[in-house]
Amino acid sequence: MSNIIEISNLNKSFGEVKAVQDLSFRVKKGELFAFLGLNGAGKSTTISIMCGQLGKDSGKVYINGEDLDRSVDTVKRDLGVVFQNSVLDKSLSVYDNLKSRAALYGITGNAFKQRLSELSELLNFKDILKRTVGKLSGGQRRRIDIARALLHQPKILILDEPTTGLDPQTRRTVWSVVSQLRRQENMTVFLTTHYMEEAADADYVIILDSGKISAQGTPLELKNSYTGDFITLYNISEQQVKQLELPYEALRDAYRVSVPNTKAATELILKYPDIFNDYEITKGKMDDVFLAVTGKSLMGGEQK
Amino acid sequence: MSSLSALIHRNTKLFFRDKGMFFTSLITPVILLVLYATFLGSIFQKTFESVIPAEMNAPDGIINALVGGQLLSSLLAVCCVTVAFMSNMLMVQDKVSGARSDLTMTPVKRSTLALSYYISTAISTLIICVITTAVGFIYLTSNGWYMTFSDVMLVFADVFLLVMFGTALSSIVNCFLSSQGQMTALGTIISAGYGFICGAYMPISEFSDGLQKVLSFLPGTYGTSLIRNHIMRGALDELSNIGLPSEGINAIKDGIDCNFYFFGDKVELNTMYLILGGSTVLLIAIYIVLNILKRKNK
Repeated sequence: MSNIIEISNLNKSFGEVKAVQDLSFRVKKGELFAFLGLNGAGKSTTISIMCGQLGKDSGKVYINGEDLDRSVDTVKRDLGVVFQNSVLDKSLSVYDNLKSRAALYGITGNAFKQRLSELSELLNFKDILKRTVGKLSGGQRRRIDIARALLHQPKILILDEPTTGLDPQTRRTVWSVVSQLRRQENMTVFLTTHYMEEAADADYVIILDSGKISAQGTPLELKNSYTGDFITLYNISEQQVKQLELPYEALRDAYRVSVPNTKAATELILKYPDIFNDYEITKGKMDDVFLAVTGKSLMGGEQK
Repeated sequence: MSSLSALIHRNTKLFFRDKGMFFTSLITPVILLVLYATFLGSIFQKTFESVIPAEMNAPDGIINALVGGQLLSSLLAVCCVTVAFMSNMLMVQDKVSGARSDLTMTPVKRSTLALSYYISTAISTLIICVITTAVGFIYLTSNGWYMTFSDVMLVFADVFLLVMFGTALSSIVNCFLSSQGQMTALGTIISAGYGFICGAYMPISEFSDGLQKVLSFLPGTYGTSLIRNHIMRGALDELSNIGLPSEGINAIKDGIDCNFYFFGDKVELNTMYLILGGSTVLLIAIYIVLNILKRKNK
């Protein structure tokens, strides 16, 4: 797979504050790429630079093979962005919002009608086209935000905390649409999120801290590197768990034992076969990875 | 081109959809007209009566036309600029809501974006000021009407030019604003102060020499003088027809800024058009350059 985003030695400061420090990474075409970090870690600054909104101090940015310094307009046509806060015009109808947006990319007349028809089918908003955006529910508005970002058929969809503040059902809808888009159009998705379970589905993850990369890899690589495994044991006594001589946590109807890795878990099972009658082995979660890497946890937009 | 027209369409639609903003902009000039007529009408009337010799027995219609003309010209001179500031609020609102940043994510040029705010504000302001002018003319007909068709057309041309000027001025000022509070504060300052410095609330000829010289550098004052000349020309001609000597007419014209002086030299109407038109073009150019430079400085 070829790289669709290549960023090398990117630096950006605001006065004394170094927002992005020597940042380098690659995003492969068609992958779901998660960009994680606390508020102020440098995520939004990086996205703003990629979108040509903000100048950089140094470094190179290539989007779909185009140098951002030379072809900012071409780069802008390859990107579709969905912000955390909807920037739709609330007093205008859905149709008017999409029509004026499409015209900014030169999509007018029949071309617009055709694209609108495709997107309304894909995102299921045909019946609300004439409704004023201000009267839509959060989920409906999110679908229109996504449609707006997709009008010009971008190669990369940037989702900046797209599900923050949405109810679980709407979050599921958003993700099912994104999965569909990736399948149908081989679209690259560049995601920033505060929900770690969303990052767990990514193909590649970068964790930013104070403008620098703290960790990167696939979710599995990160889990293997930064967290251990957990064995949840059912139908045993605490006495039996203590025999294992490992740290454990009592749950309502089970005990969860921490082990360094899956190999250690296997050795334990072989050593104590009578204890392991009813159990499950799970990898650490992305929350644990984030905590291990940054020393802070991130839960739904709140720093803990 | 489709980007520019789409943005103008969006901005204009948003202005008229915001009922509060639209009706406030529309009703303010009408309220001002009522206030002017109520509180300043009698003062203006006494001033004109004191200048016109009693033995001339000037008909009430002429005096009323002069008073109405001065009121309406003052009102229009203020409205063309203050309404432009109100209508241009979207420019700041878009910055606050993030819509402006979002628009710059598209391939649309910053100069196109800047121009779209200018044109849509000019359209909205023009609609309101043309309605105000029409209402003002109805008011004048009930007081005393001496205007010719060409005077009426010239007043509309003056309003157009002053709206273009006011919109350009508000666009530049709004470039530096980034919150709704700043916008409201500025609106209050402009509403209170602009009427004085453009010679609407009080003729500039009443100010001290030094202040007159300073104010003669402000292009807006020429807009006031143009409108006043065209609204009051018919009534002043009529006054001349019934026997007021040219010295008397000139004294009135001097007193109400129909004759406007730049360091002692009388400024002709054509020169006023050049000053107002030229400064408008200059302000638009500055506004667009400011928008382009803002990106480069980020």
